[in-house]
Amino acid sequence: MLDAKGICSGYRGVTVIKSLDLSVGREVFAVLGANGAGKSTLLATLARLIPLMSGELWFQGEDISRVPSWVSAARGIGYVPQEKGIFPGLTVLENLYVGAMIGSRSREDRLDEVIELFPDIGERRNQLAGTLSGGESRMVACGRALMQDPRLLLLDEPTAGLAPKYVDSFFDKIREIHRTRDVSIILAEQNATKALEVADRVVVLSLGEASAIMDAADVTTEKLKEGYRI
Amino acid sequence: MSLDWLSAFLIYALFTVAGTVGMAQFLHLQMGLAGIGNFGIVGFFGLGMYTYGVFIRRIPWPDAMGDILPFVISMLAAVVVTALAGMLIGWFISDLDGDGVLVGTLGFATVVYSLALSEKRWTGGAEGMAVTDPVGFGTKGNSLFWLGLMLLLVVAATYYVARVHRSPYGRLLVAIGQNEPLARSLGKPTFGIKLSLFAIGSAGMGLIGAIFAVMNHFIRPTEIGIEVTLAVMVGLVLGGSARVWGAVVGVLLTAGLFDIVVQIYLPLPDSWYQITLPVVREMVFGAMLILVLLWRPLGVLGDMRRDKLVARLGRG
Repeated sequence: MLDAKGICSGYRGVTVIKSLDLSVGREVFAVLGANGAGKSTLLATLARLIPLMSGELWFQGEDISRVPSWVSAARGIGYVPQEKGIFPGLTVLENLYVGAMIGSRSREDRLDEVIELFPDIGERRNQLAGTLSGGESRMVACGRALMQDPRLLLLDEPTAGLAPKYVDSFFDKIREIHRTRDVSIILAEQNATKALEVADRVVVLSLGEASAIMDAADVTTEKLKEGYRI
Repeated sequence: MSLDWLSAFLIYALFTVAGTVGMAQFLHLQMGLAGIGNFGIVGFFGLGMYTYGVFIRRIPWPDAMGDILPFVISMLAAVVVTALAGMLIGWFISDLDGDGVLVGTLGFATVVYSLALSEKRWTGGAEGMAVTDPVGFGTKGNSLFWLGLMLLLVVAATYYVARVHRSPYGRLLVAIGQNEPLARSLGKPTFGIKLSLFAIGSAGMGLIGAIFAVMNHFIRPTEIGIEVTLAVMVGLVLGGSARVWGAVVGVLLTAGLFDIVVQIYLPLPDSWYQITLPVVREMVFGAMLILVLLWRPLGVLGDMRRDKLVARLGRG
């Protein structure tokens, strides 16, 4: 589905992701790593929000190395950033509707599915998104990305800073999205324990390099420490 | 029906106020929805005015074409040239932050003013140039005709703005204004959308400028001073830049009150009209802008949805 071949990216001449090779199929793929390891940069690069310095990026057999983010979104890559994932001046419903501007399926069908997945936001559909709590905002951001009918969903630390009651619920939703909607997911996460509960495979990033790629079932504390280079 | 009560002053004042409302509606799309703070309004207005003037006066139109065809072609030229200028300026400012956009667009207006002043061969320089009126309804009839056309344009612009507000395109504009990188990841080309929005708004302002040239019969650089931008900006902010009727209400409360009620109906000494009133007008507008930003930053009409929500949360 998504193949990254020797990709390098970063900001203003500073290389953050260094010659990374990844191949993600129909699975939940977790990106683990300490603060500053490059998880968010990697996801923003895959969403085409940060240009590649070198390397190639292929999605569903098409080269997307040089396309802008709106093209990659139109081809089926949904992106939920860690912060500022909603439009605060629009209502919850409007936030969801702006996600449904691409694709041929009925907007109402998509909305019903998202509300079924996140009933809490359905109850707040006419509320301005800027007045929601952190957990509700994440649900709206995730719902908005799902309204795009993505084939691949990039979730950047969706549970960072959330109350514990939301964290468990959110990981359950991630599993449900993958299982019921046949959406591949790349999940950047600091909470390794939770991420490993839902992931099929993981990559551990250390200073922008993949220090380990393995099946989630094979991950041990020792292997994680080795990957984190602790 | 007698139209004696409609003096030439009143018709001209109504025309000016209507033109200001029209430009404020186009600014509303750019600034109120997409968050692009265009401070070069008078630049597009002036470019439209001068493009029309240069085309109608400097091109040797054959007599066989009559008066109307050159007029239509010159109007179209004004719209096309300002739309292209809007695209070009939009392209230049696309990656700038809010301050950069304000300075960039203000710089464009300054360039237009300087060209109007320096390119004497085309524009007539500081002395300006006369523009003929192709309509033949007599002096008052012509003025009423152009006032009617301007009002029609304002109604059309307001209707278009209302349609945009209710459409997915309008929601996308708001999304772009609030978080463009995120809006880019929605699968729509935000750069192209901003560019087309800037072109449409600029073309609208240019058309108003061109109609103004005909109504005024004369164009000169003093018509494209910063006070035009100020009147549009103050009116929109005062009325409420997030609301469809914000431009209408705001301009009526500022330019409407001052240019119609104060200048025409208040018994003021004649000596005030040349220097005192224009200066007082700018001072009052500036003070109103400061007061509104301090006490009611969302304008007189505010943001109804937000107001309702705050009221509801307050009761809860």
